Amino acid sequence: MLVADFEVARREFPVRLAISAQPGERLAILGPSGAGKTTCLEAVAGLLHLSAGQIVLDDLRLSRAADPGADLRPGHRGVGLLRQRAGLFPHLTVLENICYPPQASVELARETASRMGLGDLLGVRPGGLSGGEAQRVALCRALQTGVRVLCLDEPFSSLDQTLGLELLELVRTELVAAGVSSLLVTHQLHEAQAFADRVLVLDRGQILQVGDPRELVLRPNGARVAAIVGYRGFLRRGGQLLAVHPDRVRSVSQRTGGDGISARVVRVRPEGGRIDAEMEAQGEWSGRFHCRFDEAPELGSILLLRADGAPLFVGAEAVLD
Amino acid sequence: MTVPPAPAALRGPGVRVSTGAALVGALIVWVALLGPLIALFAHLTPGSVVSALRQPGALQPLLVSVLASLVALAVILLLGTPLAYLLARGRLPWPRIWEIGVILPLLTPPLVVGLLLIFMVGPNTAIGNALSHIDLSASDTFFALVVAEIYEAVPYYVLGAAAAFASVDPELEEAATLLGDGRWRTWRRVTAPLAAPGLATALAITWARAMGAFGAVLIIAYHPFGLPMQIWVTLQETGLSSALPFALVLLVVALPLPVGAYLWSARARRRL
Repeated sequence: MLVADFEVARREFPVRLAISAQPGERLAILGPSGAGKTTCLEAVAGLLHLSAGQIVLDDLRLSRAADPGADLRPGHRGVGLLRQRAGLFPHLTVLENICYPPQASVELARETASRMGLGDLLGVRPGGLSGGEAQRVALCRALQTGVRVLCLDEPFSSLDQTLGLELLELVRTELVAAGVSSLLVTHQLHEAQAFADRVLVLDRGQILQVGDPRELVLRPNGARVAAIVGYRGFLRRGGQLLAVHPDRVRSVSQRTGGDGISARVVRVRPEGGRIDAEMEAQGEWSGRFHCRFDEAPELGSILLLRADGAPLFVGAEAVLD
Repeated sequence: MTVPPAPAALRGPGVRVSTGAALVGALIVWVALLGPLIALFAHLTPGSVVSALRQPGALQPLLVSVLASLVALAVILLLGTPLAYLLARGRLPWPRIWEIGVILPLLTPPLVVGLLLIFMVGPNTAIGNALSHIDLSASDTFFALVVAEIYEAVPYYVLGAAAAFASVDPELEEAATLLGDGRWRTWRRVTAPLAAPGLATALAITWARAMGAFGAVLIIAYHPFGLPMQIWVTLQETGLSSALPFALVLLVVALPLPVGAYLWSARARRRL
C-alpha cells in the first residue's frame, strides 16, 4: 500500500499531499495548470526531495523529509512515471526500448508488447511511431521494471480525446492485471472519471476534496471545486451560491449543505444591455427564479449555449433578483 | 492531382535562388575555399614529394606531431568532456565565468597565447619550478608542444561537445534514471550515444586544430619540430617548393579524420 503524506516547497506555494492507495487502486489528481499536480508525482517518483512528511510503499520508506540522504533513488523505489512525452530513446528500436530496464526479459517484453498491439513494431525506431504507439511502448517499458506504483503525468493529453480514452482503458486493464496502483494527473474531468476509483481535486498545492468521480460532480464542496469539475458559472443570493453547469445547477453554499437543487433554464432574453433568464428549480430552491446577468465587464462575458433546443448559460457570475 | 502552392504568407521569406545562380555561387565558394589546395597539387609532383620525404629524419616531425596531438587530444577529452557536459546541463556555478574561460583561448591570438604561456609555465615561474621537480619543462620540449596544442585546440572541443550534450533531451536522461539506471549508466547508454555525432565532429575539429597548432608552438615549443614548425623552418631556409611536400603530409594526416567524422555524424543524425 502506498501511503504518502508530505509537503514539497515551491517558490509560489508549498504543495501538500496526503493519500493512501491500496494495491491496484487508481487515483486521479484533478486540478488546473500550475496547481502542483506534477510536483506530487515527481515527489512520489523520487525526483524531488520532501520539505516535510514521508512516502512509504508497503514496508519500504521511499522518502523522508527528515533524512533526504536516505531517500531511495528514482528507478529503485518501485515507482514508474509516464509523462506527456513518451521519452523513448531514439537510437534504440522499440524492442530495445522495452528491454531497457536492467531487469527486463526479452521474452516477457515480447509477450507484453504483443498483448498491447506492438508486435509488428518491435524493430521500428521511435521516430517511425505515432503518438499513441509511442505511449504504448512507454507503458510497456515501464511495466518491465516491476513497478508497484505507476504515476501518469497527463500522458495522453496531446492525443485526440477518443484515442486518449482508449489508451487510458488499455492502461487500466494492464494495471489491474499487474495489480499496480496508479496516480493519474489530469486537468480533464472525463479522463479522471474514465480512469480512477477516487479523484483528488488539487488547487494551489492543497487538496480541496477527495471522492469518487460521480460524487465530486454531484456534490462539489465549494465554488473552487465546482469550477474545477466543470461548473461554469455561479449565481449568488445573499450568502448562498449556486453553481451552474451546462446540464445542472447545484447549490454549493456552506449553509445549505451543498445539495438538493436541480434546475433548468426556461427562458433567456437579451434586454437593454443585460440578459434576463428564467430558471425553474426543484428541491431546496424550488420555484421559478428570475436571473439578471449584467454584461458589465467585471462580470465576465456571458456565453449562451444551446443544447437540445434549450438555451443554457455558462461563464458568468450574477446576482439573483 | 496537383498540389496547390502554399499561400504567400506561408512560404519562406526572402528571395528564392534559381538553380543557375546556386551553381555559380557554389562554384565560387568551392574555388575560393579549395583554391589553395588546388594550387598545392598543381605545384607538386610525385617525385618531389618522394624525394623530400626520403631525406634523413624527414618523417620525424610527422611522428612528433601525431604523438603530441594524440596526447593533447586525450587530455582534452578527459578534462573537456565532463566540463562540456556540466556546462550544457547548467550544473556549474557562475556558468558565464566558465564559458568565458573556455572561449578566451579562442579569442586570443595564438602568438599572444604563446607569449603568455611563458609567464605562466616558463622556466622561472612557480608552475615551471614545480614542473622541474618532476623533470618536466614547458619550454622547447615535447611537453611544451602538448601544452601549446591543448591551449590552441581545447575551446573547439569544449564548445562543440557542450552543444552536442545540450542537444540531448534531459527528459531522456530522466527516463533512464526512472528505469533504474545510475548516472554513469545513463551517461553510457543514453547521453553518450545520442551526443556521439556532435562529439565526433568536435573531436575531429580539435584533432585538426591540434595538428596544425603553430602560433603558441612557435613561442614555447620551437623544438622538437612538429610538422607545422617543419613547414615554417623549411620555408625559411630552403624556400616554398621544399616546404610544400610537408604541407601535403600535414593535410593528408590532419584532414581524413574530420572529414570522416563529419560524414559519419551526418549519417548518424539522419538515423536518430
